[in-house]
Amino acid sequence: MYKGAQIITEPVGKEGDLMILNWGVQHPASGPMRIKVWLDGETIVKVENDPGYVTRNLEKLLEYRTWESAIVNVERICFIDDLGTLLNWALAVEKLAEIEVPKKVQYFRVILAEVGRIVSHLIGVGSMFGALGVATPMMWVLAIREYYLDFLEHYSGYRISTASIVPGGLKAEPTKEDFELLKKAIEETKKRWPEYKEVFKDNPTLVERYKGVGVIPKKLVYELGLRGPVARASGVDYDVRTRYPYSSYEDFDFNVIVKEEGDAYARFLVVLEEIEESVKIIEQALEGMPTEGKWKVRVPKKIKAGESYSAVEWSRGSMEYHVISDGGTGPYRVKISAPSFMNIWALERIAPGHKLADLAAIFASLYICHGDLDR
Amino acid sequence: MEWAQILFKALVFPGVIFLLLVIFATFYLERKLVADMHGRTGPYYVGPYGILQTVADIFKILQKEVIIHREADKVLFLVVPAFAFLMVSLVAAFIPYDKNLWIVSTPYDLIISLALLTSLPAIFLFAGWVSKSKYPFIGGIRVINQLISGEIPLWLAGLSVALWYGTFNYVEIVERFDLIGFLVNLIGFVIFLVAILIVADRPPFDIPEAEQEIVYGFLTEYTGLGYLLLAGAKFLEVFVLAAMTVTLFLGGFKGPFLPGWVWFFIKLFFVYYLAFAIRASTPRIRLDQLIKLTWKVLVPLALLNIVLIILLKGF
Repeated sequence: MYKGAQIITEPVGKEGDLMILNWGVQHPASGPMRIKVWLDGETIVKVENDPGYVTRNLEKLLEYRTWESAIVNVERICFIDDLGTLLNWALAVEKLAEIEVPKKVQYFRVILAEVGRIVSHLIGVGSMFGALGVATPMMWVLAIREYYLDFLEHYSGYRISTASIVPGGLKAEPTKEDFELLKKAIEETKKRWPEYKEVFKDNPTLVERYKGVGVIPKKLVYELGLRGPVARASGVDYDVRTRYPYSSYEDFDFNVIVKEEGDAYARFLVVLEEIEESVKIIEQALEGMPTEGKWKVRVPKKIKAGESYSAVEWSRGSMEYHVISDGGTGPYRVKISAPSFMNIWALERIAPGHKLADLAAIFASLYICHGDLDR
Repeated sequence: MEWAQILFKALVFPGVIFLLLVIFATFYLERKLVADMHGRTGPYYVGPYGILQTVADIFKILQKEVIIHREADKVLFLVVPAFAFLMVSLVAAFIPYDKNLWIVSTPYDLIISLALLTSLPAIFLFAGWVSKSKYPFIGGIRVINQLISGEIPLWLAGLSVALWYGTFNYVEIVERFDLIGFLVNLIGFVIFLVAILIVADRPPFDIPEAEQEIVYGFLTEYTGLGYLLLAGAKFLEVFVLAAMTVTLFLGGFKGPFLPGWVWFFIKLFFVYYLAFAIRASTPRIRLDQLIKLTWKVLVPLALLNIVLIILLKGF
């Protein structure tokens, strides 16, 4: 149990010569999380995480739901990329009920998961620039993102928090207009992204601010159990989509982006280049989509007792559920293992020695989603 | 009616009311031009083309509660922003908008302006200090670090112009401006442009008010009228420095066909556009990287520039 949890009755002051700063809950760049920083002048000496401000007790709430209505809690683990979390829930329940979904459902689920990844990575790129004070890349990527949100809104009725993937298949049947909107989104991305990518990648100040900053060595990845783009940027070649393929991912041909340096710039590049890989996967899925089969298979109301474990490669890392059923209409217990919660502890190890200005950069490059940090 | 003329100049143009209009106009311009670079519209609904948006915002700020931090010094907290505004307005009195459109013109214009601008780091440090809070304190310390490093290239580049034209008076510098003067002072122009961004806390050098690191730097605890005066002082500082750039390096109010002050504002707009474009495209650099930039690149370059000007003047 970590020792940072405490009830604060007086303002944090100083400790000897060091100044203690609440890079705290009311702060433009920290999101809803408090980070206690010990400063010596402008140099960081020690960092302590204090998460827990967004806890909604989703694991407990899930015990009161049925197998299908649980998606309202599962999708709120992180509302920006909710499609990966929904997919994982569907896979876990289908494993428990021993149901097999038709191939075309699996292909469309892959499309939805990759759309979620693109949508989340676009904001990630924008916020990695936003942490340095320039808002222009955020505005540009939000413009591309709008096309994907149009597709999601037309398909499911929601832009984010879509509630579209249910155990047994999909909640709604995709229509011709949905595919048209998706094709338009892909077209716009391919039109604009090459130019944006060059501008983002070669920005000299970004390179100067991010290169060599916040280096995570490879053995720290194994020691702390880091996941996702953070681990792949430090040379660890692990992607659940290729290691333990799920939902027909083995049919698609894509690269796993791995970098060696482990600094903030490498993490930025991993997120940047994964967008193109996702576009590739969506195109392959659109081309090869089978046409026979139903869009939703019947799932029994009560699923027999048992346990299942399921993992997907979510945008921030591998999201894992351990679901236990006791034969009832809903889950008995769900354990959610969230990637952002694993990744945040790297901040305590790599931040000391940097300047205060780098804290925002390192924090943004760790690609944290607060919803999934606290659940 | 000497005194009526002086009163008009001091209060209306180019005095207080004009300076307030400058704050309105540059704020609006910044939002519209930067929005265009972002792919957005900027202010749109309030007034035609959103012109009255700034008016609405400033009147909104005026009616906000002035919250004074419990441990802050009550008198100084309110005095410091007013003082900052005063010092910047004093510099604005020297700007020549046309051959006979200025408030003050002395044989020592340039030196007085630069000296008055040097008082601003201390005032901003006080603004951070009297807030008695950690984030403003860090912002105030960063201001001193940054502005001390940035003022030296500013002085050197500005004085190199005076060296070439042989006078400190703004009107005479503009009168003696010609193509050769422009080309000779080109290096000084580039150094001066970078230096005014450093001195005025403009992105990419907005380190003292880095929102993502120290909330709002030395402006954090200020609300209502205090914030308006302090932020207004910073806006005016940009205006004054841009006007100095135009006067020293771009020929001020000189130009064919159109009246002088029209040329002045056209050139001013060009300098502003450059500053906004740099703001929209460049991330913020770190303080130690900035200090390396000024001391290792700008200061030697500025010194070499002075040597070059002396050599060229010899011919």
